[in-house]
Parts: sequence; structure tokens; C-alpha cells
Amino acid sequence: MEQKWSYLVDEYRAMLYRIAFSNMKNRADAEDAVQEAFLRYMREEKPIQNKEHEKAWLIRTTIHICLDILKSGWYQRTVPWNESFENAAKNIYLPYQVRDDETLEAVLRLPVHYRNPIYLFYYEDYSIHEIAGILNEKEGTIKTRLRRGREEVKKILTEGRP
Amino acid sequence: MGIQEVQGQQGGTPAYQKKEKTGRTKGFQESFLQNLKNRDQAKHVGTSEETEAKRGVRDTQTGVNKKADKVGMGRIGAASGIRVNAAATQEALQAVEVRHMSYEESDHVRIAVTEGYTLKGKREEGEGARVYVEAKYEDGRVEAYQVEMAKVPERTEHIIEQFALETMQDE
Repeated sequence: MEQKWSYLVDEYRAMLYRIAFSNMKNRADAEDAVQEAFLRYMREEKPIQNKEHEKAWLIRTTIHICLDILKSGWYQRTVPWNESFENAAKNIYLPYQVRDDETLEAVLRLPVHYRNPIYLFYYEDYSIHEIAGILNEKEGTIKTRLRRGREEVKKILTEGRP
Repeated sequence: MGIQEVQGQQGGTPAYQKKEKTGRTKGFQESFLQNLKNRDQAKHVGTSEETEAKRGVRDTQTGVNKKADKVGMGRIGAASGIRVNAAATQEALQAVEVRHMSYEESDHVRIAVTEGYTLKGKREEGEGARVYVEAKYEDGRVEAYQVEMAKVPERTEHIIEQFALETMQDE
């Protein structure tokens, strides 16, 4: 049993952390969200069918936990003291080199309904079909959000506002 | 020359002029014509030669499209965000089957959010320098190309070829 959990953590920790970080934009909250996602997985009573389902479940749960934290009254009244939003892209630790931190910063500033599809599609390399499954949306919705999100990124880069 | 003669004719407009082109084809044609115009300005070549080049590349493009439709392979330069200087580049690029390579497996990655595409490149082992390039577009299409580096011009303007050059340099 212990082996299963350690495999699970090794396999998904880094990716879930990046997804959590893209939402939370600070390390401590991102780590908390990932830990909570693993805990919920352990407590889950319904059997997870296969590896793809397992991955999608963990990503979806991590995103939901992040959104719950962001909506909480406590979170809205506080500000992380040691990390500024501007450094968010530098702390995301992607497994490949990104030469354009400015664009990643702009993506992280998008509203949540654009941010998650754009981040998963471009930076985690998921297909539209997979993202639709993870976010429980139709593929057409994801395509629309990718297109509109891209326009928003352009606006942020040129005008400095979403 | 031929185009001017048709436009100058008296009477009804020829039927082919009324045909509506699809957005993508139209975009490609515009991009191609612009490239052709720039090239011709530099070389000072005559109009008849221009017509020949136009026909040649249009034929090549149609050929690639037919092949792509059959086997689900790439349509070179037809995608949004990737501008093609079509004339001399077709030889170096060959549409191949998509391997669904991950970012971790790639030697070089380009994420172009504002253009709506991502590129992944991997140097191929074996005879001759070759680079496998996988392109993913905002509309969900994934296309793959093999680039023969020996045939790539040093100052190519083709996005895929430029990316293949970067992949070779990115060691």
C-alpha cells in the first residue's frame, strides 16, 4: 500500500504542483493544495479505473482545491508575505526551458476559466480532448476558451491589462 | 500578363472569379502572394516567371494537402500562426506520422501562446542530420515533419525550418 502511495506521489507531485502553482501563484499554498489532493485520493471510496482516469482525477481535484482556497474569506483577506506575483513564472519549475517568461506571467494573470485550459494545453501539453475530460467541459468550450484566452494574453502583453 | 488580359476582357466575368475560397486557403494565398511579391522585388524577375512560380507552389500545396487528407498528416504552412515562405522549402520538409512526443523527450520546445501553437523538436540519429518536429495547434490538430537539415537554407524564413535549426543548435 505504501509503495502505491509513494509511486503516486513520485509520478504526479511535480505536475500537480505546477498546476496548483499556476492557480495559487505562491509555493506554500500550491504545496498545501497538492497534499490535500493526495489525501482526498487516499480517502476516495470509488475505485479509480485506470492511469488516465487517475491523472485526470488528481488534476481536477487539485484545481478544485485551489479554487476553493482562492474563494475562501481567509485567503481574500491575506497576502503571502515573501513572494510577489511578478516572480510567479520563475517559481513554476517547468521540466523544459521556457524562453518567454513574460508570456507565462500573462497566462498566470488570466481569469481562471481561461487560465487552466491555456496552461494545460500549452505548458503541460494536454490535448483538447484530455482538457475537456479534466475540466468536465465540452471540447468546443475548451477550443473557444483557448482562442479567447489567447486574445486576452495578447491584450495583457500589449496593454498590460486582462 | 495573363491575369491582366483576363481582367481587361469585355463582357461577363469568368466563372472562376466568383468562386469563394475557404478562410484558410485564402490566408495561405495572401501570405504566399506577399512572399512572392517580396522575393520578386528583390530579384527583378518578370511577370511570366511569377505566374510559373505561383502555379508550381500551388501544385505542391495541393499535393501535400491531398496526402495529408489521406493519412492525417500535416498541411505544411496552412496552420494559423505559421507563416510560410513556400517557394524553396518544400523539399527539406516531409510530413510524417505523429509520434506524440512529450516535452521531456524533446530536445527543444517552443510555446507560442499568442500565435496559437507549440513546437517540439528532436534531433534524429542515423545518417544525415535530421530533426523531427511536432506542431500542435489551437484547434487541436497535431502535425509532424521530418526536416532534412542539409536542404535547409541558412537564412530560411520558414518557421518549422527555423525551429529545426534552433533544435540542432540547442545542445
